[in-house]
Amino acid sequence: MTVVQTDKTGRGGEEEGNQPNEKSGMQSALLFNVERYALPGLLILVLVFFSVWSKTGHLFFSAADFQEVGFDYVYIGMLALASLLPLVCGEFDFSVGSNAGFTQIVVATAMARFHVPLPFAIMLAIAAGAFIGLGNGNTVARVGVNSLIVTLGTAGVLLGVVEWYTGSQSINNGISGSLINFGSENFIDIPDTVWLLFGVALVVYYVIQHTPYGRYLTSIGSNPRAARLVGLRVDRLKLSAFVLAGALAGLAGVLLVAKNGSATPEAGNVQDTLQALAAAYLGATSIRPGRFNVMGTMLAVYFIAFSVSGLAIAGVQSWISQVFSGAALFIAVVASTVIGRRRAGTG
Amino acid sequence: MASDSTDKPGVGAGGAGAHTGRSLLGEQLVPRPYFALSVWRVSKNFPGTRALDNVSIDVTGGTIHCLLGANGSGKSSLIKILAGVYQADPGGTVTIGVDTIDADRTSPEWARSSGLHFVHQDLAIFNALSVAENLAIGRGFPVNPVTKAVRWRALRRHARAVLERFDVDVDPRRMVGDLRPAGRTMVAIARALQDQSDASEGVLVLDEPTVSLPAVEVDVLFGALKRYAAAGQTIVYVTHRLDEVTRIADRVTVLRDGRVAATLESGEITKDRLVELIVGRALDHSSASNATLQGEDLVLEVSDLSGGPLRGVSFGLRRGEVLGIAGLVGSGRTSILTTLFGLQPPSSGTVKLDGRVVSFASIDEAMDAGLGFVPEDRSESAFVTMSLRENLSAAEVSKYWRGGLLRERAEAADARQSIKDFSIKAISDRQPFATLSGGNQQKAIVARWLRRRPKLLLLDEPTQGVDVEARAEIYRLTREAIASGTSVIVVTADLEELARVSDRVVVLADGRITGEVRGPDIDPSQLTELVLSAAPDSHDSKLEASQT
Repeated sequence: MTVVQTDKTGRGGEEEGNQPNEKSGMQSALLFNVERYALPGLLILVLVFFSVWSKTGHLFFSAADFQEVGFDYVYIGMLALASLLPLVCGEFDFSVGSNAGFTQIVVATAMARFHVPLPFAIMLAIAAGAFIGLGNGNTVARVGVNSLIVTLGTAGVLLGVVEWYTGSQSINNGISGSLINFGSENFIDIPDTVWLLFGVALVVYYVIQHTPYGRYLTSIGSNPRAARLVGLRVDRLKLSAFVLAGALAGLAGVLLVAKNGSATPEAGNVQDTLQALAAAYLGATSIRPGRFNVMGTMLAVYFIAFSVSGLAIAGVQSWISQVFSGAALFIAVVASTVIGRRRAGTG
Repeated sequence: MASDSTDKPGVGAGGAGAHTGRSLLGEQLVPRPYFALSVWRVSKNFPGTRALDNVSIDVTGGTIHCLLGANGSGKSSLIKILAGVYQADPGGTVTIGVDTIDADRTSPEWARSSGLHFVHQDLAIFNALSVAENLAIGRGFPVNPVTKAVRWRALRRHARAVLERFDVDVDPRRMVGDLRPAGRTMVAIARALQDQSDASEGVLVLDEPTVSLPAVEVDVLFGALKRYAAAGQTIVYVTHRLDEVTRIADRVTVLRDGRVAATLESGEITKDRLVELIVGRALDHSSASNATLQGEDLVLEVSDLSGGPLRGVSFGLRRGEVLGIAGLVGSGRTSILTTLFGLQPPSSGTVKLDGRVVSFASIDEAMDAGLGFVPEDRSESAFVTMSLRENLSAAEVSKYWRGGLLRERAEAADARQSIKDFSIKAISDRQPFATLSGGNQQKAIVARWLRRRPKLLLLDEPTQGVDVEARAEIYRLTREAIASGTSVIVVTADLEELARVSDRVVVLADGRITGEVRGPDIDPSQLTELVLSAAPDSHDSKLEASQT
């Protein structure tokens, strides 16, 4: 039996409303490149503007300020990397900030109270963070609860536990000197912590972009049912993304102690999570538009960082910085939704 | 009397001039039967296909009039024209009661105002809301004039009155989701008809309402429909199930290839006659053989497979063969594929692949054993936010993992090769998948599996919503894969297509294989006949089966 070229009729009505044609494919390819470099362009614009503007120029471009900004945002950058993995597979982790708030207490307490050597204290913090991620991932992937609700709940519980354990007191003594030094030393004029962040960013980039695992997470984020039908263990993969997010949040907790020289109950909260998510969303509008990506996220972190720092030097009131971060999140989310819709051919 | 389609327009032509006059005269001379709904000389052309060709149907008031036909016979086009979703080509008319409109000017508003009420297969009811709320939605809630708060007692009173009128014995406060399936359908019917002041006023159109109902529920629903008709309600009942027609129709119109094949009175309706009309030729009852394939080179042997809708399915698949599975919706045709692929575990039975008994706990095990599955719905296979390249390699990503890197260059080269081999129209392998046409998306998804050189490829409606060219292309590629050792099972409701592409077709009804047709030239009308007559004769047998 041969396949006949002509086909039976009677289905004509169903072929209406086809997908966009090739021409719109080319148009979107053009748009692609404009979108792709918008954020790096903005970052350069911010840097140029604040270094030229008379009110900020003298301070903004000094090495000291550069280092300060780089340093301040290492922690947010680490949280953004943590939140990136669940985002890639289509889930939210709202607990990364509170997770860091919890693990900073873990690392500080281990050293101050139980005299655990620094490397083990750090491992303990990362393990604690990963364990929290395991709880999140298990509830989301196996039980099937909405990740937003689960991780918001986790965030609340962690905040409460921190407050109960510390009695709202900071842990200042007994923190390893080398950790505090790490938090303040430079290597080729760039803080050690920034190097660490870039190192971790490189690893996360590699995992998302250059391993099958990253491709699997991306596929799940794109269409979980189709991912299942090409043989992916969707629940296990989602679970692992939350565990990794938790581990990175644990590392962010260690950075908090390194940065502050102490563990303070107020540090590490949902506010930080929001900043991290803002960066991830803003990052998804560039480099690989429509997809969460490491490079874009790092650019976004430092776009917000330098903007806020420039505004601070210019002497604007601190609430303006907050409005700026909030507005950036808002615009980023709207932009990535619009881009995503155009990608999906529905807009 | 079975009026043939050729003399039908003649009857209509006589009625055309007197179309409006008919009801005027009718009221004086013959009070009943009157025509509650008349479709006269309605045609509808889609680009390349003629969906309806001069269709005329008269529906007598207070009767249940069935509309029957195979896939593509035009029955859904006709319903959509009545509902105002489509407009017919200029020329015909539609009359409801005394209200006549040109068939190219139907609209949803017109349908509603002239008393056509539709209840579709998807009932559009809200399971999480109460019966009373469901009845009020779309119609408006009674509210307090000042505070605008819902007057719950008035709402319940109205609901209770409606339910009583339609003989639905449920508490209006119950959640619709908690009702039995037939109850839900009846609530949907009551909602559609609640504003009719008199049963003889409008026309109720039921579009395949029993597709997802178990047999017992069908009985409950049919009891209710007969009562409504006895009270004067006109019902147009669209179905493809012959046993339902024999049970409830006062009259049936059979459509075939967009034309009225015939209209039968209840006394003339037999299953054989209906099958003949649907198929378009006399029956030859001896056509199905159910030969076993022992001793042949079988790649797959399925014995006594049960689970879900399947009740003891056995068949074999030869190496390099295309086996078609024909059956109505609900026959279990998709379940055979999903069970083989490890998506749902069978409750009993064995599957042998290359002579070895296999049971897949998960999809990746089935894939490792050499199976591939293209699901019916492209939303379950397409990664629209990813690139064409990533879609092509989705089922074999690990192949490109070498030396600690995902080898994108090798992946891209393979993608370009596939684009060429499978004639996918795309600008580049990096093109976003969403910007490809439906046909090219589907080609890419079939390519995704063929690239793995599967031992067994399972295709569920592989050409649904795909243009003619892509359709032929998909089957050509499948043929090529067969030459290199792949065997294929294909499921599609399009029996002409199934007949054309299959070496052998098994017919499935109610989870059992009831017949088999072998090539080289499978006759699609024979398949239609087998599929239709394989459907259960009465719901009693189904009832027994579902109770055991």
